[in-house]
Amino acid sequence: MAERPEDLNLPNAVITRIIKEALPDGVSISKEARSAISRAASVFVLYATSCANNFAMKGKRKTLNASDVLSAMEEMEFQRFVTPLKEALEAYRREQKGKKEASEQKKKDKDKKTDSEEQDKSRDEDNDEDEERLEEEEQNEEEEVDN
Amino acid sequence: MGLSWEEEGNGGDAAAPQPQSLTSAPAAHLLRLPLVQVKALVKADPNVMLAGQEASFILARTVELFVETIAKDAYCCAQQGKRKTLQRRDVGNAIEAVDEFAFLEGTLD
Repeated sequence: MAERPEDLNLPNAVITRIIKEALPDGVSISKEARSAISRAASVFVLYATSCANNFAMKGKRKTLNASDVLSAMEEMEFQRFVTPLKEALEAYRREQKGKKEASEQKKKDKDKKTDSEEQDKSRDEDNDEDEERLEEEEQNEEEEVDN
Repeated sequence: MGLSWEEEGNGGDAAAPQPQSLTSAPAAHLLRLPLVQVKALVKADPNVMLAGQEASFILARTVELFVETIAKDAYCCAQQGKRKTLQRRDVGNAIEAVDEFAFLEGTLD
């Protein structure tokens, strides 16, 4: 299904926010200018993807990877993007690693919890017995006082 | 057009790790564009079979950088006209003036 670039626009709100953050305060952007940039961005993605895909095919791979995209940027003469992209990629990888570790830790904690919950249960039963004994003793004391 | 790229003014500082739910999109706080839509664009290319998670992420980041770039370049044109509102023609001028944007010629028509 061939999609025209204009059909695959990125969300206007986000595009607007990126533009506003890139520009100094007090500068605004007309609707037509924003939609022009949005369309350009869609074309850019398609072009970059196609370029990256060429690199993947050269490497006899069927899956695009990050380095294909980086190579595409250089090919498209956007070398200036390469450094910030590499930094973003590192941050992304760190986060992915952190997430993986966090989920593994969560799993461990969960297992520990179920173990300790079972221990607590048996401990609680013991406690209940102790409480009952204490109450009895208190009652006895009261009785003595009354006497 | 000599523009500096130092100030990014985005969330690329990899802020202190916040507890993210595992079901949320990866690296959501590192991007403003929704990954889902970037992936849809990637899939639109009939030649592309698959794109890894990293590739989609880095493509999305690339688009953000591109939008910042073209906005700044268009602003240069608006400034010359002593205007504070970016117009469509500023974007068109930027496309014509900047070599890297050659692939965009005809896009605005």
